Amino acid sequence: MTQTTLRRTIPQTQKMFDDYGVLNGDNDIIHYDDQFAKDRGFRGTLGHGLMYTGYVCDLAAKRYGADWHYRGRLTVKYVRGVCPGDNLEVRIEGDGAVACQSQFDTTLVGSVKLA
Amino acid sequence: MTRPSDVKPREGDQPAALYKDWVVGAKFPPLPFTITPDVVDEYISVIDADRANYVIDGRQAAPPNVVLVYMMAVMYRLYPPQQGGIMIGNTIEFHNPIWADEETEVIGSGQVTEKFEKKGRKYICYDVEFKRPDGTLLVSCNHTSAFPE
Repeated sequence: MTQTTLRRTIPQTQKMFDDYGVLNGDNDIIHYDDQFAKDRGFRGTLGHGLMYTGYVCDLAAKRYGADWHYRGRLTVKYVRGVCPGDNLEVRIEGDGAVACQSQFDTTLVGSVKLA
Repeated sequence: MTRPSDVKPREGDQPAALYKDWVVGAKFPPLPFTITPDVVDEYISVIDADRANYVIDGRQAAPPNVVLVYMMAVMYRLYPPQQGGIMIGNTIEFHNPIWADEETEVIGSGQVTEKFEKKGRKYICYDVEFKRPDGTLLVSCNHTSAFPE
């Protein structure tokens, strides 16, 4: 059965990066130091890849319900950085294809399914 | 209660492991930690999740991916982190629920699976498994990151 596309848009802020970093203990300055990130060729500080994975998982849990906790399978690749000010759309297509897309680029691709 | 910051070495706090230091097959020391309802609440907040998506037979579960905030701590205990690491990808499998209304004792373990250089970047791949003390598998991951040095 073909499922409907699930999507939501989450505007990104430095505070969101900071709050995630407070929880996971990540002190990598690429998430906090704008100049350091720009010196490495990015538009600005980068959000945490696992934060975006969490966004995808939330939509997958909505789609698959209880089965997600027992048989959920997820593969993601982070293809571009996400920076403060990005308007990030998170999407799961009917076939399980996953993408995160900002106004600048596709930032994450992958897939979700049940085993 | 174990906050990830309690068990995760912080970038810059100690000499970092470099690409040359990583050994394929090296096992990470087991990392025991406890996920508490407070950590679940904070995790739901920082990933902007909807609690309604995690109800199983009327009981509130945690997002099973809550363990991911501990994932790098498992690896960093053997290979202290360096600044400027970039996450490349993850493959994650969920096997059993983590409940939001109780403390969950977890043991994280894993090993280095691959290392390679490509287009001037240095890549590290490793597996991590999260189990209850009785051996029940909760979540398994295969992770890839790239590091500057």
